[in-house]
Amino acid sequence: MNINRICRKTCRVTVAAIALMIVVTVAARAQRTTSMRINEALVINDDNFLDDYGKKSGWLELYNTSANVVNVAGCFLTDDINDPKKYPIPKGDVLTRVSPRQHVLFWVDSMAWHGTFHVNFSFKPDRANFIAFFDSDGKTLIDSVTIPAGQQSDVSYGRLVDGGDQWVSFTKVTPSTNNKTLDSNERIDNFKSNDGVGVGMTVTAMCVVFLGLIMLYCVFKFVAYLAILLTTKRAKKASDDVQLSGEISGEVLAAISAALYELDEDVHDIERTILTIQKVRRNYSPWSSKIYTLREAPRK
Amino acid sequence: MHDSFISFLAENLQLFLTYTGVYNATPGHFIMIAIGLLFIFLAIRYEFEPMLLIPIGFGILIGNIPFKDAGLQIGIYEQGSVLNILYQGVTSGWYPPLIFLGIGAMTDFSALISNPKLMLVGAAAQFGIFGAYTIALQMGFEPNQAGAIGIIGGADGPTAIFLSSKLAPELMGAIAISAYSYMALVPIIQPPFMKLFTTKKERLIRMRPPRVVSSTEKIIFPIIGLLLTCFLVPSGLPLLGMLFFGNLLKESGVTRRLAETARGPLIDTITILLGVTVGASTQATQFLTFNSIKIFGLGALSFVIATSAGVLFVKFFNIFLKTGNKINPLIGNAGVSAVPDSARISQVVGLRYDPTNYLLMHAMGPNVAGVIGSAVAAGILLGFLG
Repeated sequence: MNINRICRKTCRVTVAAIALMIVVTVAARAQRTTSMRINEALVINDDNFLDDYGKKSGWLELYNTSANVVNVAGCFLTDDINDPKKYPIPKGDVLTRVSPRQHVLFWVDSMAWHGTFHVNFSFKPDRANFIAFFDSDGKTLIDSVTIPAGQQSDVSYGRLVDGGDQWVSFTKVTPSTNNKTLDSNERIDNFKSNDGVGVGMTVTAMCVVFLGLIMLYCVFKFVAYLAILLTTKRAKKASDDVQLSGEISGEVLAAISAALYELDEDVHDIERTILTIQKVRRNYSPWSSKIYTLREAPRK
Repeated sequence: MHDSFISFLAENLQLFLTYTGVYNATPGHFIMIAIGLLFIFLAIRYEFEPMLLIPIGFGILIGNIPFKDAGLQIGIYEQGSVLNILYQGVTSGWYPPLIFLGIGAMTDFSALISNPKLMLVGAAAQFGIFGAYTIALQMGFEPNQAGAIGIIGGADGPTAIFLSSKLAPELMGAIAISAYSYMALVPIIQPPFMKLFTTKKERLIRMRPPRVVSSTEKIIFPIIGLLLTCFLVPSGLPLLGMLFFGNLLKESGVTRRLAETARGPLIDTITILLGVTVGASTQATQFLTFNSIKIFGLGALSFVIATSAGVLFVKFFNIFLKTGNKINPLIGNAGVSAVPDSARISQVVGLRYDPTNYLLMHAMGPNVAGVIGSAVAAGILLGFLG
């Protein structure tokens, strides 16, 4: 019986621990490389962005969609789905840490010896190019894209909005910057143009405030109903129990009656409430002995 | 040699003089110092929110000691200075949620749970926020700035600081000072409007005594409260999450030490840091602008609108309630979340008309609902304008 109980308890603890681990792992992954997206790529670079060596090559841009710094070191870039570990992004370079909602650029020039951000494959201008970004386990595909064949010179292929779903061609390429330039807050502009007086905001927001508190009201009205029902039921059960328990002994009834009488008539005698502290004379106590607090006299 | 030494000393003395406060003082500094002294005076002489006005008032003095901007890392706006480091809790917005944790751990939601319809009074008072928002737009503020200014009407200092740090950091000093000043002045602002909108008969309404709330209900409240409000307005999570978490620490009965820390040493520490740094952030050069004056005006207006909306809503609500279940409109003012001052005002004004009618417990219902309501409203504004 005890063993069964222990087993059940162990099982419950294990399940809870596993659930917690899953939640923690999922939460941690959400802050990690899974937030990276392939954001823009330029296949034919004739008169465009130069690398640190002054060379013009194709490039691809990754974008961090999360609100957290993501380190892409240890992840893989490839142009071959059957070889996911083709280009391992080197570890130990601080520049592989991508700030929230920021970009990192890789040169697709088959010159990996040029540094961390030069991959060991290059684009083929005459056909469609597949690119994939794999997690550090080399198995989990985080993002991939096939750049259509027939790309024009100095025209990039990228997401319309950073991290968005729609892909378009950009005649004005935007390496390491936002694909859509944000020079204002779109939401604020919308409110300015459509709700200059603020009535829309007032109505919407007050509706939400009322809705939230009405929901709370409804739930607690129901909870209160249940609580009252439960209390009444318990009180009724308690009174039934007293009736069902049959005869109460004479001593109990006498004690109850006496207590009620004393309470009603206030006949309880008042006891003395004088506290006396009597000094006790004690000649010796080791706690007060000075012998123990003295240092031993030096021997000559 | 002798002459050059004297001239060296004279030059140094002259240089030292340029570093003194006296040399760098402007009329603005003296105005701000006078405001700081006024805050301290109000706090000590009249006990208007002394826990807030003393740190803020003294912070204003600290922030308005004039000095030469020589990169000595003294001022609150100089990166790396001690004040600047402490101020990061305000600019990054992590002081307010910690204050809310303490508020949650010290708030008893029983009054609200026993009479849940009082939640709606707390919701109605949020009209103050959006009334001020509308007027601020008309005065030429941008929507995000108007949202940050409007939140003053929520009468909740931490919420005002949290929201303004996200929506309009440039106005945060004026908004925080305005919010805390009017919270301290609640005993002066609210009673005239409570009287204006109520009849003598309404002021005498006696409300049913609240029922006893079981501990299970008290434990359920923060959990359901969090899930319902944050599923609706996730942007209110930092404030509402901490508020309800603090309340669960209190009500669970098994985390007494944590609850005591949250409502004791923790909230006290954060209140000190928040008050001093917000006060110090009101440097004359940054604070004394025409916008600050406008914000002060709007702040007062938002308190008036919130108070009036709360009182009028109760009157409207009473139309639908049976005799014996009616609500005394004098508790409508408590929907602004200045806990517990506005509830105390309901009690004081109520007692003036009927010395045996105690409204405090009833007023605590809309008062704590106001805390939730203003945090929800802040979440909505952040969601729309952030």
